[in-house]
Amino acid sequence: MSELRITFTREQIAAYAEASGDHNPIHLDDQFARSVGLPGVIAHGMLQMGIAATVADEAAGGPDRLRRLSVRFAGMVVPGDTVLFTAEPAGQGKLELKAVNQRGEPVLTKAVAEYVP
Amino acid sequence: MAGRTYPAVRFEIEAARVADFARAVGADPAQGVPPTFAAVYSLGVTAPQLFGDPDAAVDLARLLHAEQEFEWSRHPQVGETVSSRGRVTSDTERRGMRFVSFETDTSDAGGSPLCRSRALFVIRS
Repeated sequence: MSELRITFTREQIAAYAEASGDHNPIHLDDQFARSVGLPGVIAHGMLQMGIAATVADEAAGGPDRLRRLSVRFAGMVVPGDTVLFTAEPAGQGKLELKAVNQRGEPVLTKAVAEYVP
Repeated sequence: MAGRTYPAVRFEIEAARVADFARAVGADPAQGVPPTFAAVYSLGVTAPQLFGDPDAAVDLARLLHAEQEFEWSRHPQVGETVSSRGRVTSDTERRGMRFVSFETDTSDAGGSPLCRSRALFVIRS
């Protein structure tokens, strides 16, 4: 099983915003995030998916092998949250991915990868 | 909005951007283009067309990215220029929320398919 434990920081979320081009202020500006009913800035769902993909790549034997990746964004991740990302074999060329925070809550569900074995 | 298509968008896969993206998702920049860089070259270049479409009337402050899927025929290399075309595949309302499915097909310079992105957006009312 491949795994990666990440404690999210504002700096990492800002770095992802810069690299991805997703500058939605809900990821960068606490005041704006609160004004739309969030607890403060939250991580991009796509940042969570990107980290899950990094773990899947390792389990699959390299990023070029990945053929499909699918996730449901089930929970918010805020700075300071620690999320354990795992990839477990689920049959030939398939992986079951999990991302669970420090309270044991899944932040990604229905997360699967398919790869060229 | 279902059935609406947007013009193709070209995007060059640049080394510096790929390396920054790789570091941000905990990947090794030496391993090339991370698979979910499709969030940039596929979804990222086409979703703004949907969000900026006055007919679509998407309020970004009420937008949630609920589900995402990528399927790859192959992964692009640094230096390639790719072309992505987005379309709304469904747009429905249930329980006071709006569900928009948005698909993007990305192909290489020769027109061969690279990636299909399927995003489900939920817009709270």
